[in-house]
Amino acid sequence: MKASKLTMRKKKEMLWGYFFIAPFLLGFIVFMLGPMLFSLIGSFTDYNLTSKMNFVGLANFKRMFFQDQLFWKSLYNTAYFVLFNVPLTTAFSIFLAVILNQKLRGISFFRTIFFLPAVLSGVAVYILWMQLLSPSAGLINTVLSWFQIKGPAWLFDPAWTKPALILMKIWGSGGAMLLYLATLQNISPALYESAEIDGAGTWQRFKNITLPLITPIIFYDVITSTIGSFQIFQEAYVMTKNGTGGPSNSLLFYNLHMWNKAFVAFDMGYAMAMSMILFFIVMILTFINLKLAPRWVYYAGGEQK
Amino acid sequence: MKKKLGFLFVFFSVLLILTACGGKEKNSTDATAKKADANGRVTLDFWSFWGSGARKDVIEAIIADFNQSQDKITVKYTYQPWGDIWTKSLSAITAGNPPDVIVQDINSVAQRAQAKQATALDKYIDKDTSKQFYPQLWETTLYEDKSYALPFNTDTQVIFYNKKLLKEVGVTEDNLPQTWEELEKVAHKLDQKKGNDYSRIGFYPLWNIGADVWALNADNGVSWFDRDGQVKIDTPNKVTALEWIEKWQKFYGRDTINRLEAEFGSGVSDPFISGTVAMRAQNINYYSSLMENAPDDFDFGVMQLPEKTKGSGHWSWGGGFVLEIPYGAKHAKESYEFMKYLTSEKVQEKFGEKSFDIMANKTANENLVKNKNLSEKGQMVYKMADDNFPNTVITPVPLTAPDYNSLVNEQLDQALMGSKSPEAALQAAQKAVTDLVKQNKTK
Repeated sequence: MKASKLTMRKKKEMLWGYFFIAPFLLGFIVFMLGPMLFSLIGSFTDYNLTSKMNFVGLANFKRMFFQDQLFWKSLYNTAYFVLFNVPLTTAFSIFLAVILNQKLRGISFFRTIFFLPAVLSGVAVYILWMQLLSPSAGLINTVLSWFQIKGPAWLFDPAWTKPALILMKIWGSGGAMLLYLATLQNISPALYESAEIDGAGTWQRFKNITLPLITPIIFYDVITSTIGSFQIFQEAYVMTKNGTGGPSNSLLFYNLHMWNKAFVAFDMGYAMAMSMILFFIVMILTFINLKLAPRWVYYAGGEQK
Repeated sequence: MKKKLGFLFVFFSVLLILTACGGKEKNSTDATAKKADANGRVTLDFWSFWGSGARKDVIEAIIADFNQSQDKITVKYTYQPWGDIWTKSLSAITAGNPPDVIVQDINSVAQRAQAKQATALDKYIDKDTSKQFYPQLWETTLYEDKSYALPFNTDTQVIFYNKKLLKEVGVTEDNLPQTWEELEKVAHKLDQKKGNDYSRIGFYPLWNIGADVWALNADNGVSWFDRDGQVKIDTPNKVTALEWIEKWQKFYGRDTINRLEAEFGSGVSDPFISGTVAMRAQNINYYSSLMENAPDDFDFGVMQLPEKTKGSGHWSWGGGFVLEIPYGAKHAKESYEFMKYLTSEKVQEKFGEKSFDIMANKTANENLVKNKNLSEKGQMVYKMADDNFPNTVITPVPLTAPDYNSLVNEQLDQALMGSKSPEAALQAAQKAVTDLVKQNKTK
């Protein structure tokens, strides 16, 4: 008697639960899952949006791996970007957060300054950076020239276009900085005090207290920024003339190539196949990340394991 | 209790779906209501990217004229930003609710026709329609013998020269440079140095037209693809063109060029107006910028691009825009009526007079040469455009490789940066594009 009542209550709760997440579920199914499934189906066809959608088997994938040289180029460019962008922006935002975690007068002013880039949006920032990066008149090369360094041509030199973009991304890492900062402020000062009494230096305190306690956020940041970096598109689209890929295609990122295939060549089936491959790459990387996490991510509560 | 809750859940979900669909339904009834109002007038939605300045003013005036001139059609003008307009219209076509008339890129008409994104116009066109346009513009609108668009405006590449500076070195309108060699001679007479740095450059071919235009100029007007769709990238003439550009680069030195380009790029001053550059190859539309920014006593002329050698032809390159009825638009007949109006002689002349665009209607351009509302310089520009048009090549994208550009540009960049010889670069581009054609054919 009692048991059945409980299950009924449980069922009731479950129902309410579903009811409350219904808006998300509906949105997810209609706007995410639906299009994703459609992409999956489309990737085996020659779909061109308007006039045809014939099944072509694995032709799109074959073409991608064995014929389309720009596919490999764009994948290389993207991988290069991810490989440098993710660790550098993560390290920089931790660095910033630690510095800005000091109790100084006017620290909130500096916090605002470093957070600002994360608030400023898209295109205006890119245009600003294009001016900063201008080879002879730009601020960056002007500053370098004070130290007798001849700055590179940045966005005009294929070897420097990607570093230029990464530099810009590092400047904009204020968003993640805020997350780290919030976590840092939750760390109990008692830990530092006792470490100090035990004679630990600044570096040791950072290494043995701060770092382990923010690993969950690092983990989160690495995963989201890896996914985000793989999706880089806007920057390259704006900073090269309407998606032309920059000097000698050095800024032709994966999504840019995909966009060109979809909306310049109307080869939507092929673009969908490309998006599937990207989906798998990102999924595998995230899976590896999740598997590796227990080795280095420290959850203070201890129960998540 | 359980039942009640289940019911509640379903009820709310249904409500949610209903409100979502309801919105859509309301929109579509709105749309049909919009298209034929009480007096039986059909309302057309016209999309273009002219959102500011002279072009916006004149197109709005033209639309107002059209709406008043008859009582069957009302045209509503919708501005769509340059970066969005064509992707937006593509989604609208896919969704089955496109605009009625849209301004489109002249180079991809056949590509859209093939993909069924545009309405064939053969039902509405009469025999003489094609004759009012420059022939190469008309040709771009054809796909499998049917026309899918009406050309609207166009442009061509020419050289603007500083009359005063050229006069100083003894060059006047009668002995303007006609070949590459003559151009080099005149240019280097105009060069000036201050110490080790150039303070004035006579001419540099990549200011401001692309290497692709010079390649076409050298190769008898044949672009990267010939008329039959064969890939013609690695040809002796095109190699010569790149070598010629390289020669200029070496002459002035890459440092000089980069320094000046950065200066020009900052947009503080126009190097041609300031006299830093004596001759500047540019889209003829550059005239409107000169009108706005040059002082009144700035005296300039226009000339054709030189020939590679005597008799090889003053080949130049142009682009432009067409008017199209997207596939699935509801009032094709009325839309065509409006398009016909926009491409008619008087309307085209009016648009040209205000915007300084080269118009697709040949007679309109010829009238503009004599148009009294234009300054002497303006008339000169239209005369040059009309003279230059027989040599102007339009390069529609090949259906076999619509996205070939990034492949060619990659190699051109490498050649111009000196990391590859012109020959090797063009060879690689030829191979890459041929490959792309093959991929698309076997698909």
